Amino acid sequence: MHGSAEDPLIARIAAELRQPPAAHPDFDARVMAAVRRVPPSLPARAWTWLREPRILAVSPLGGLAAAAGVAALIVAGAWAAARPGRAGGRASIAGAPAAARVTPTPVTFVFMAPGARSVAVAGDFDGWDRARMPMRRDPSGLWTLDVPLSPGRYQYVFVVDGRRFVADPAAPRAVGDDFGQPTSVVTVAGGASRAAGGSL
Amino acid sequence: MNARILGLAAVLGALVRPPAAAAQVERLAGRLDERTRAAVTAIVDSVRAAGVPGDPLVNKALEGASKGADGARIVAAVRALAAGLARARAALGTGASEPELVAGAAALRAGAAPSFLERLRGDFPREPLVVPLAVMADLVGRGVPPDTAAVSVLALVRAGVREADLVAFRQSVERDIALGAPAGAAATARAASVGDLATTGVPSTAGQTAPAPHPRKP
Repeated sequence: MHGSAEDPLIARIAAELRQPPAAHPDFDARVMAAVRRVPPSLPARAWTWLREPRILAVSPLGGLAAAAGVAALIVAGAWAAARPGRAGGRASIAGAPAAARVTPTPVTFVFMAPGARSVAVAGDFDGWDRARMPMRRDPSGLWTLDVPLSPGRYQYVFVVDGRRFVADPAAPRAVGDDFGQPTSVVTVAGGASRAAGGSL
Repeated sequence: MNARILGLAAVLGALVRPPAAAAQVERLAGRLDERTRAAVTAIVDSVRAAGVPGDPLVNKALEGASKGADGARIVAAVRALAAGLARARAALGTGASEPELVAGAAALRAGAAPSFLERLRGDFPREPLVVPLAVMADLVGRGVPPDTAAVSVLALVRAGVREADLVAFRQSVERDIALGAPAGAAATARAASVGDLATTGVPSTAGQTAPAPHPRKP
């Protein structure tokens, strides 16, 4: 077959074969019509329905009402999350007895330490801050401080001279000490003031 | 690796945390090292989903920080308290208030049986139980056996004594112990005395009349 590429007969046959087959003029239309007659599956129809763009006609008044509704939902959600009485909230869990949400009761902390330069109360009610609640000294060396507390059970200590933790000798001790230093406990009942205090 | 996981958990928790919860953990800022803070935050976020309040856990972490405890000890204490609060919630019910859960966890830690909490709640489903639970825990702290403390407090509450009288009862027991009385005997004797006074309506140990606000239970 040497030199067959130059054979005119073969070249003519190849040229004929390269021509697309002649089809009926309405072949494409008939094929597409047949395809359209096959019903699409339900998921395919749903997907097509979801993807089709639509135009919503909303009046200005309707739009304002919808926006107000969304804003009201957001505000209500934020209020519900932040209000006391919700689980994980600040004060109590929903459904708590009303007495657990009464107003704070003044509790007087008293500590006798004539030789101390400063005494403060640190506890559950002030974030265990050593300096946030300093006590006042009278000439005899009696240190006092009134702290408003809601009903509950609080742990606390006296902080002497800013560094030494001293449990209240006049108050119950917390059962089990987590950090190697004794801690006192004050329980506030609903509506009754109480004095807590001891001496050093 | 653990630090990365804790950090990631803290970031994810921050993204989904409600405002009140965010305020709780913000109190830890500047008080704990980053690793301890992330661990405590992860505990707070995880138990909140179960209805356990976060504030007592944050307070416990701050107590540890103020007392100079190391991070591992702080995390262990927070985890133990979280477990105690969850047990208290299981015993007191989902409607228990945060102060009740704190007092309940203290009572359980003192040695009270969960059934003690359940019985209190069962008898007084709508009354605040902070003081009875706290008095029980405080008595144990003074040396009263847990069972004796639980029985005494339960008897007094059922007899209708007021919160102030419960506190006065505890103070009386403390005085008796300080004077040398055996702790259990002091609690039993004082409970009998206060209970009798409460049911007869004569002046109580707190110097106030103690009419029974609740019907006496059989």
